[in-house]
Amino acid sequence: MTTHARRARQFLANKSRADWHDRTLWFVRQKRDRIAATVPEWENLREQASRIKKEALANLDVYLEQLETEAIRNGVRVLWAKDAGAFNRIVLDIIRQHGAKNIVKSKSMLTEECGLNRFLHSKGIEVVDTDLGERIIQFRQEMPSHIVLPAIHLKKEEIGETFHEKLGTEKGASDPSYLTQAARRHLREKFLAADMALTGVNFAVAETGTVVVCTNEGNADMGVHAAPVQVHCMGIEKIIPKQEDLGIFTRLLARNATGQAVTTYTSHYRKPKPGGAMYIVIVDNGRSKYLGHPKYNDSLKCIRCGGCLNTCPVYRRSGGHSYGYVIPGPIGSILAPQKDVQKYRDLPFASSLCGSCSNVCPVKIAIHEQLYFWRQDLTRQKRTSFIKRFSMKATGFFLSENTRYNFIGIMARWAIRYVPRGLLYLPFNVWGRGRELPAPPAQSFKQWYRRRVKS
Amino acid sequence: MSKAEILASIRKQKGTQVSIRKIAQTGGSALSVSELRNLFIENLKGAGAEVVCLKREEADTYIASAWENVLDFSKPEVIAEYPATCSLEKLNRIEHAVLQGNLGVAENGAIWLEDKDLPHRIIPFIAQHLIFTLETNKIIATMQDAYQQIDLKDTGYGVFISGPSKTADIEQSLVYGAHGARELTVLLI
Ligand code: SF4
Repeated sequence: MTTHARRARQFLANKSRADWHDRTLWFVRQKRDRIAATVPEWENLREQASRIKKEALANLDVYLEQLETEAIRNGVRVLWAKDAGAFNRIVLDIIRQHGAKNIVKSKSMLTEECGLNRFLHSKGIEVVDTDLGERIIQFRQEMPSHIVLPAIHLKKEEIGETFHEKLGTEKGASDPSYLTQAARRHLREKFLAADMALTGVNFAVAETGTVVVCTNEGNADMGVHAAPVQVHCMGIEKIIPKQEDLGIFTRLLARNATGQAVTTYTSHYRKPKPGGAMYIVIVDNGRSKYLGHPKYNDSLKCIRCGGCLNTCPVYRRSGGHSYGYVIPGPIGSILAPQKDVQKYRDLPFASSLCGSCSNVCPVKIAIHEQLYFWRQDLTRQKRTSFIKRFSMKATGFFLSENTRYNFIGIMARWAIRYVPRGLLYLPFNVWGRGRELPAPPAQSFKQWYRRRVKS
Repeated sequence: MSKAEILASIRKQKGTQVSIRKIAQTGGSALSVSELRNLFIENLKGAGAEVVCLKREEADTYIASAWENVLDFSKPEVIAEYPATCSLEKLNRIEHAVLQGNLGVAENGAIWLEDKDLPHRIIPFIAQHLIFTLETNKIIATMQDAYQQIDLKDTGYGVFISGPSKTADIEQSLVYGAHGARELTVLLI
């Protein structure tokens, strides 16, 4: 069994929770549909967003240098990191240079990807995640299970238990509003004491040197404005050429992510506060390698809205942790093998290829096509299991020629009827693990058709 | 070091990309002033904000009678009390803060603020209760229209705010007052 399938089985062991997860994310998807339908030019916006991203990626070097020039002119220091190691060291240097002790961080999938918290922990530095969902999983030492809703795999009772232990809330208390207020008090203290704030970046505008961060809680702003030092961390693909482009992306992002018209806060950071310091760290970490790839470069358009996760029938029923990569779901399944093809070779198969992901994607990434390309490449590179390759070869052999096809049809109809169940569902019948064979028809379609034409 | 390597890698790879020009922007909205206003109010309420419609001359009396301990940051004497160097302890005691909005977006209820409206950038977040005043004629249709009107090069910081701070991170149940303001009231003039 593949790693994803094994982890998914663990997730499904708790049926009521799995159902809840499925329903809740489907509800988010429906909210998204409803609000998208209120924007008549929705499809036009998606097309524009896709083209802007393509243009930005086609001239990425030019736009990144423009961003840097603008930012420096604004009094911002710009640093470049080619991989996770370089990124972590750069952040550590900034921390040491400013002698920062109390560091707060708002949501950033990039810092997760680079393992920043773990790295800093190993140097004796603690970072406080301030997004409520992230703080919860940080307390529990877990990975986020969704890129926009990091704690969606947890029930309020579990969160209540964690808060009781870490924040001294009442035992057994699980009211979301009560728990949120406890977190507010706890994190407000952290904000007031912060001497450095780290954030992710949703969009970086080359034309003006502005970085844009979207939140509902206001945690990015609380940290950035409270701490004297602000550090914004972005992947190279976050760039968009112009201020006017923001108009398109801000109309799409929140609607597609959570079904809101816009996030509560859309913050534009361009210059440090009076007497403060501002940094932008630009990170590659394997992205540029796929920039010119004819099949896979489209994935770099992603704006991390999470829409493809919410809609995916596999994600909803297997949970974010089953993927084993920081970014789960359909988009994660095409990004992960770019990072490590051997380690994540099972992920492109964790899909029904229904194409729902591509239909909701606000930047029109053909995600299901990329999943299919990966499957082809992985099979060609013999990275798939022997049983899978063998059965595919055998299927090809029987399906590609008329007599062989007729023969295997007769055999199959006979076998389903007479071969004992134990033999049909032997362990190497991977397909039969979660599925039942259909009842065999008395005759094949061909036989039926021939008889019908004759009579 | 990293910079040269990243740019070299990008230049080596990007050869196969085709640059695609953008298609025309969708033009402004056909909504009338009162339709824009109604849509704006509906969206703000949907996002958890309260909206009060007033005449200009009523605003001051309304603010004074509705809240105690209210700081109106359109008044020079209040601004002078909270300079950029003001301590966080003092800022953290702000109960009700009144700020002047520059621009309202009908399609989502967002209100634009920038450095010149903010004596200290943290005020709209650290205050327990945020109150915006906004002139009805400053409501435009969409975010695309908004970015035509503002100029990011004019400000070191700017933010769209569309409601009280909120979270749904615990079982997707909506709770107001995550980290920022617990309540938002918009006084439409
Ligand atoms: S691939 Fe598309 S739908 Fe999925 S997270 Fe990225 S932008 Fe959103």
